[in-house]
This record gives sequence, structure tokens and C-alpha cells, in this order.
Amino acid sequence: MAATIAGVTRPAVPSRGVPHRRRADRRRWRHRLTVLSFLAPALIGISVFLIYPLLSAIYFSFTRFDLLTAPVWVGLRNYEHLFGSDQTAWKAAANTLWLVAFLVPARMLAALATAMLLTTVKRGGSVFRIIFYLPALAPPVAATIAFVFLFNPATGPVNELLAVFGVDGPLWFDSPEWAKPSLVLLGTWAVGDLMVIFLAGLLDVPKPLYEAASIDGASSWQKFRFITLPSISPVLMFAGITGVIQTLQFFTQAAVAASVASGKATTGGGISSTFGYPDQALLTYPMHLYVSGFRFYDMGYANALAVMLFLVAFAVTLVLLRRFRVFVTGGERG
Amino acid sequence: MKTRSLLAAAAALLITTACTPGGSTDTAVAPAGQDVSGTVEFWHFFTGREAKSIEDAVAAFKATHPKIDVKITSGQDDTKMLQAISAGNGPDVGLSYSTDIVGKFCSSAAWRDLKPYIERDKVDLGQFPDTVRSYTEYRGKRCAMPFLADVYGLYFNKKLLADAGYTAPPKSMAELSDMAKKLTKRAPDGTIEVAGFVPLLNFYENVPSHMAPVWNAQWLTGEEKSAIGADAQWQEMLRWHKDLVDWFGHDNLVKFTSGLGDEWSADNAFHQSKVAIAVDGEYRVAFLREQAPTIDFGTAPLPVPDGQQDRYGAGYVTGNIAGISANAKNPEAAWELVRYLTTNTDSIVTLSNAIKNVPSTRDALKSDKLETDPHFKTFLDIFAHPKTATTPPNAAGPKYVELTQEFVDAYLGGKHPDLKKGLTDLDTRIDQALELGR
Amino acid sequence: MRQSWLVGVARHSILIAVAVMFLAPFGFVLLTSFMTSEQALTSDWWPSSWHPENFVTIFTQVPMLRYLGNTLMYSVLATLFMLLSSVPAAYALAKLRWRGSNATFVVIICMMMLPPQVVTVPLYLMWADVGLTGTLWPLILPMLAGDAFSIFLLRQFLLTIPADYLDAARIDGCGEWQVLLRVVLPMARPGIAATAIFQFFFTWNDYYGPLLYTSESQEYWTLSLALSQFKHLHHVEWNLVMAATVLVMAPVIIVFFFAQKAFVQGVTLTGVKG
Repeated sequence: MAATIAGVTRPAVPSRGVPHRRRADRRRWRHRLTVLSFLAPALIGISVFLIYPLLSAIYFSFTRFDLLTAPVWVGLRNYEHLFGSDQTAWKAAANTLWLVAFLVPARMLAALATAMLLTTVKRGGSVFRIIFYLPALAPPVAATIAFVFLFNPATGPVNELLAVFGVDGPLWFDSPEWAKPSLVLLGTWAVGDLMVIFLAGLLDVPKPLYEAASIDGASSWQKFRFITLPSISPVLMFAGITGVIQTLQFFTQAAVAASVASGKATTGGGISSTFGYPDQALLTYPMHLYVSGFRFYDMGYANALAVMLFLVAFAVTLVLLRRFRVFVTGGERG
Repeated sequence: MKTRSLLAAAAALLITTACTPGGSTDTAVAPAGQDVSGTVEFWHFFTGREAKSIEDAVAAFKATHPKIDVKITSGQDDTKMLQAISAGNGPDVGLSYSTDIVGKFCSSAAWRDLKPYIERDKVDLGQFPDTVRSYTEYRGKRCAMPFLADVYGLYFNKKLLADAGYTAPPKSMAELSDMAKKLTKRAPDGTIEVAGFVPLLNFYENVPSHMAPVWNAQWLTGEEKSAIGADAQWQEMLRWHKDLVDWFGHDNLVKFTSGLGDEWSADNAFHQSKVAIAVDGEYRVAFLREQAPTIDFGTAPLPVPDGQQDRYGAGYVTGNIAGISANAKNPEAAWELVRYLTTNTDSIVTLSNAIKNVPSTRDALKSDKLETDPHFKTFLDIFAHPKTATTPPNAAGPKYVELTQEFVDAYLGGKHPDLKKGLTDLDTRIDQALELGR
Repeated sequence: MRQSWLVGVARHSILIAVAVMFLAPFGFVLLTSFMTSEQALTSDWWPSSWHPENFVTIFTQVPMLRYLGNTLMYSVLATLFMLLSSVPAAYALAKLRWRGSNATFVVIICMMMLPPQVVTVPLYLMWADVGLTGTLWPLILPMLAGDAFSIFLLRQFLLTIPADYLDAARIDGCGEWQVLLRVVLPMARPGIAATAIFQFFFTWNDYYGPLLYTSESQEYWTLSLALSQFKHLHHVEWNLVMAATVLVMAPVIIVFFFAQKAFVQGVTLTGVKG
């Protein structure tokens, strides 16, 4: 039972007990057609919305392209600029990687904790579910403004509350050291989307497994480690991979938070004069990409930045896929 | 083999669509006196109440040009306009809030060269002040017309000044520095309660681009390379700011400013008497009247460095601009609209009164119908001053300004102890960045 | 008995404390929505005077009902199309054995990896060529070709369904499509509901998509675009922005209230499963 529940399918390896191992060619073709019928829309999607934009990004990354006149081939110049002279890009990349390292695990832990807390609630569960999901439901601009105002160092209730306990609160979004941790808090607050996924995963774990474990005298930790974790590991893997990819593209919240903290609140992410406040601490890689492409008209360079981002996301995803497979196998043995 | 055919299909798509931005540029101009008719698509960035003012202006245009119909779309920002023009379906007439796009839109011909129309219709460009003319053209190519302007000057809180024994605003940077210190009030523990002047260059409108003109600090050379490192005025300016920042203590200042209200809210520090002297645009007058009617304030030009007294009265100006897309379907009618909105005195004065911006032609500035008062007059005078300047248009947009901003923030925060070397490095960075777009 | 009661109290106090923290920013939004434009975003938290008419002003300044209709069309169609295309794809990736399924899976994840800022350029040019810019179709039609995020999420949920049930159905003579419809769909209801909710809320709040494709034709605007309509050259009427935010959020909260029942039903179903 445990094996099938935990099972991340590994189609390349035929597992035992599958009756149709050897088939006549005709049947194999029919099977392929069935698979194709399930996947046909997605294959169209892949070619139009992945391969076409990817190829054009690669092509533009070797050109000088301002969106207004035809692209001009410049060879490796954009990449030379990226690796040779654009210090801002590296600052932005460091900020983004910092966020990947801290925001993704923080969100996963918070989502798992709230989801598990929610599974234990007998009464009023739906009310709590809504409350915890609310921040993720809110339009990001308004939600970010509200959040940053709570953390205003002088007038926000957070520091007022800390002062009650005798703590001199930090400058939060106004301090180069605290700005990114504050952003992690913001991301953790809006964790409702992940929480819903984890909740659905947790509710999917068959109850009899826990009952059987209780009879065997397993502790809560053992139940969590050997039943809950392996059961929801496909969902954890999803959260990890999409978390990394989305954090690599982190844009709106950082842009709005910077504009509010700098004292020039704006409605959109399109005004770049406050990007990065304070002291470039909130300048993320996609913000630099946006500014390069649409404010400085270096769309070719922006595409070079995008290709690098793609490669990093791809590498991290491959690593995560492998790691999780190991992790799941461990769970199976337990 | 499936993937290979997909690749081929995608590559084919790429060639047919992605590489054909812009559109046909038909520069033929009809002979003078031709009857113009048809529909003009007009995009602007205003929304809400201000969008209504634009609609009124266009309605007045239609009354005098009954054969031209104007389809107005509000709330279009520069990025959107850029993408639409790039895909070949931009508007006939576009209105932008920023002069940043002039360099690129002129040099790439995304906006039409207006010279043939101007010559044919004998439009007098002398009606625009020189600086306004400079930010609506690039390398001799006029692709934009000015549509109202923003002018920056000094605001001072008369009561706070009087309490400290001052009756007049500072006229020199040395004076400003002294007054800033005397006007500052600190709590016993040293935290700032009222700042005479906030010398950080990312505070509200106190930014490098607004201050550079009074120091006569130059941005770019004639060859469009960074002029910053070689221009001693930049070092003077930044040292002045750094000295004052150090007097306050950088961290004290950041702590103080982070607790101040949002620039665009009623909590603006100047409204709250938390800052005695501030740099701001002409529009602040209207905000003060509405949101802080009890504040007794005065307006003046920005102070100048010692030895540059002849520059007193000059300041920074920027503005909104209008242009005609290269792929406009009806350029003749589009030109009629642009010409009306940017040169018709009545139209400009009405809009200026409604939106509280500075009118951009000399006739409109002199008009009796222009609602003005002593405060607004200060800004009209700065606007008309011959030494008033702006940030030079560039094909890479505001790239050099934003790289400088980044450097200045770091410098005032204590990085780059060797200012001269720091500015030379900044030159290199700007030049490399500008080279990328060439 | 008594101890478990105490644990329950402790648990609920933690929950309530966390809930207050989660709700505080919405207090800010709600209070701001009743303020004057002058008071908004000041350090004053409590409205100095109450202005419920802000909620009326929004409707006079912005055709909210039409935007609501557009938003509903966008969200409902996009979610429906996503389910139609993505559930079968996720099933093929999770429960069918075929060569290349791993590679296809990775490629689908790759679809999320290009930053939207650069993807929009070629895609915008493509939709302009087809003549569909200025409408919501460039945002809706792609959902017929599967959504990478949803396929991935659905696949992960489908993995948790024990293969025994599918094999049993196959032995009974069901084809794969029948297995999907009769066995997998009912069992995967919580996961499918979660994915649908995600898609629905994402499109509901989507700002950059409608801005990019519909900003030139107001008849297609969505509620998220309405939020940026209270911006002036030099200031923003935040009280109206926040009031509109409250109005935009209200329907999704109601939708979520009903949709979450699907999870609760999921519990009983999985109970049978084991």
C-alpha cells in the first residue's frame, strides 16, 4: 500500500505486476495513440508557448533589439556585457538567489504548518481556511501596500507592538539589511496558495494508515515522518519546484514594496525610479530585466538575461527532481 | 523527429512575426490647405478626473474640426505604447508622461519626424522656451511636441523659518546648509523630530536630476558619453550633500525619513511641518491648499552655489509630450490634433488650470485666463529662466540618470570614500551601458 | 478527556492569534476604503470621518459591472478550458506508461521558466498578427492548449491515487478515457478543485495580462484594471483603490467559501479509499 501511495511513477522502469509487458506492435501503437489523445493539446501548447518564445529569446539575445527597429545581430555582445560590465545585474541576481534560498523554504514550512494546524480543527474550519487564504486572494498591489504600512518603522503597529515589549523594532523595508527578510515575511503571509495545495494533499492521506500506525505504537513524529511526508511528497516536490521558478521571477511585490517604503507609493510595477530601494536591496533580477528591456530599450540584452534565468531555473529543477526521487524512495522503505 | 518538425515550425513563425516590428513609414506630407478628415486614435496616460479634462480639450478640438473624429483611450502607459507600436498597431497620437522616451522614439522613427508638418503649416517653434524645445527633439530630429510642463523649485515653511529667526528663503547653498542645521530639531535621545532640509538624494523630489541644473552639473558630453567624472560641479554638489548628510548622521536621516508620510498623501512631511525646506514641483501648491490649508508656506527658486549667483532663478523642468506613431493610419488628422493640443493657447490654458501644470507656450504663459497666484508665478518664472535645464534626451532613455542615482545613494550612505574615483568608475559604467544600445 | 480539551483550547488560541495576524492588513484595506482621499495612507488608522459613499463613487467613475462581466468571462472560460486540456495531460503523465513521459514532464515544467517580461514580446506580436489584441482571447485561448502550472499540480495530485483502482477498472474493460472519467475524476476531486480554484483566482487578479492585451479597448477591461483607474498625474486616490479592492475580493471570497467544500468531501472519499 505504502509503495503505491508514495509512488512517484518511474515509467522507464517497468514495475512488477503490470500485466501488459509484451504487446503486439498494433497494441503498442494503439497505446501511443491513446497517450497522444491525452496530450495533444499540451503538445500544441508546448510548441506555441514554450518553443517559439524560447527560440525567439535565444535569437534576440544575440541581437541589438529596441522593439522599434529590426533586430541587428551582435554575436555575444549582450553576454559579454552581462558577464563583463553589468554590476547591477549581479547585484540583482544575488538578491534573487537570496530570496530563492530563504523565501522558498520559509513559505513551504509556513504552508505545511498552517495546513496541518487546519486539519486538526473540528469547528470553524472553513472560516480559518478562508482567513489563511485571504492574503493570497487579495490583489497583490493592495495587499503589499497594506502589509508594508503595518511595518512602517515609525507609524506602523508592528513596531508599536514591539515597543510594548521593550524591543526597538528595525527599519524593515527601509533598511538594506532588513528589506529582504521583510519581503520573506510578506511572502510567508501570502502563503495561502501553497497552504491550500498542502491541505488537499494532507486530506488525501488515507486515515487507516494512521490508525494502523497507532496500533503499532508509532509516535506523532514517526507518523509524520513515515506516513505524512511520503504521502504528500509529490505535492512538496511541486511546491519546491514551482516555488523556485516563481521566486526567480519575483517582481510585483518587490516593486510595490520598494515604492511604498521609499515614500512614493504607486499603483503598478511599471515605474522604475524607486526600483531597488533601499540601496538596491529589493532590486530583483526580473526587475533589472524589465528596466533593461522596456525603459532602456535593450530588449536584446533583456533576452540574454532571460536565457540565463531559464538556464538557472532548468538546472535547479533537474536537481530538485533528482533529490525528491531519492527522498521518496527513502519514504517507501520506511 | 516530432520535436524537429516542431522546431522548424516554430522557427518559421519566428521569422514571419517576431522580426517585423514597427511598420511602414510614410513620410509624404500633403500640400498645405488640404481638407483633413477621418478618425484619429489618441492614447493618453491620464485616468479619472484628469482624463475628463483631456476629453473636454478633445471635444473643443472636435468643435473646430468637425470632420475629424477622435477615439480617445485613457490610462495607456509608455510600456504599453512601446509594445503596441512594436506590433504595428499603436495609436495615431500618443501622449507620454515622460521625456525619457524622446531619444529612442525620435532616433528609431517610431514617432514621425514632425518637421515637414511644422514647415508646411509655419508653426513657430520660438513659442516654446529653449529647454522645452530641447527635450522634445533628439539630434535635430523633432518627433514630439510639448504638452504642459512640470517645474521644480523650493518650498519653505514660513512659521518654522520665523521661529528660527529667518524671514527669507536661502539663496545660496551655504545659506541652505546653515539654515538646515538651525531649523533642525532633535529629541533628547538625538532622533530627528524636524529636519531643516533632508539632504538625501532619494527623498521625495530631492533627486540628482532635479538638483544638477542649479549646480550647472553636466550629464553627457556632445558625443553622448558620461560627463560626470570630468565635471567638477558633480563633486561640489555631492560633497555638499554628503557634508550635510554626515552632520545629521546617515542612519538618523534614514530612520527619520522612513517614518515620514507618503509623498503623495496628506502626510507629506512638508504638510506636516516635519521638513522646513523642501524641493518640489509646482503641483505641490494645489496639494498644500487642499490637504494642509493651515501651513503658511513660501516658494522660491532653488539656491545656487557660491560664485554662481547669476544662475539664481534657474531650475529643473520636464514635461508631458505628444507624438505621432510611424504607423499612424491618419497622420494628417493626427497632426491637426497634436498641433491643436500643443499650440492652441485656449486649450493649453484650460488644461493647465484643470490639471495644475505649467503651460508650455509663451502665449499661454502670458494669458489672462491662466489662473495664477504668487506661488504659481514663482514656477512660471523658473520655467522662463534661460538657465533652466532638463536631463538631456538619450536613445537609452533614463539609463544614465538611474545609474547615477544608484551611485549617489551608495555614496551618501558611506560607500565610495574616494569620490573622484567613484565618479570616474561611474563614467565607465554609463559609457559601457550606453554602448550596449548602439 | 480534560487534557484533550486543553489541547483544543491551546490549538484554537494559536489559530486565532495567527488569524489576527493574517487579517490585520485587511483591516487596513477596509478602514482605508472608508477614508477621504486626503487621509488615505497617512499614519491615522481610524477614519476621521466615514465615507461609505466611496463605494458608490467607484461605480460612477468606473463601469464596474461591465468589468465584472468581463472578469467572469475570462476567469470562468480560462478555468474551464484549463481543466479540459490539463486534466487528461496530467493523467497521461501520472498514470500512463510510455516512453518519453519523463522528458515531456520536464519540458512542461520548462514552460514556466521563461520570465513573462520577455515571453510577452513574441507572443504579443503573434496575437497582433492574428488580430486578437484588444480582446481577452489571447489570455483565454492558450488555456485550451494546457497550462503548465496546472498540469504539474494535477499530475502531483493524481500520483497519490493508488494504481490498484485504475487496474481494477482496466480489468473490467474500461478504456483509458473511461478510467479517467469514472475512476480518477471522482477520486481526485480535492486536487482538481484546488487546481481550478488556483486558475480562477489567478485570472481574477491577473493585472499584467489584461493590461497588455486589452488596455486599448475599454469594453474588454477587467476588474483588476479598474484598480489602477484612480491614479492621477501626481497622486492616487487610495481610498477608492482600497474600496475597489474590497469589491473585487468579495466575489472570490464567496467562491472560495463554496469551493472549499470540495476538500471536505474529499476527506470522506479518501476514507473509503484505504
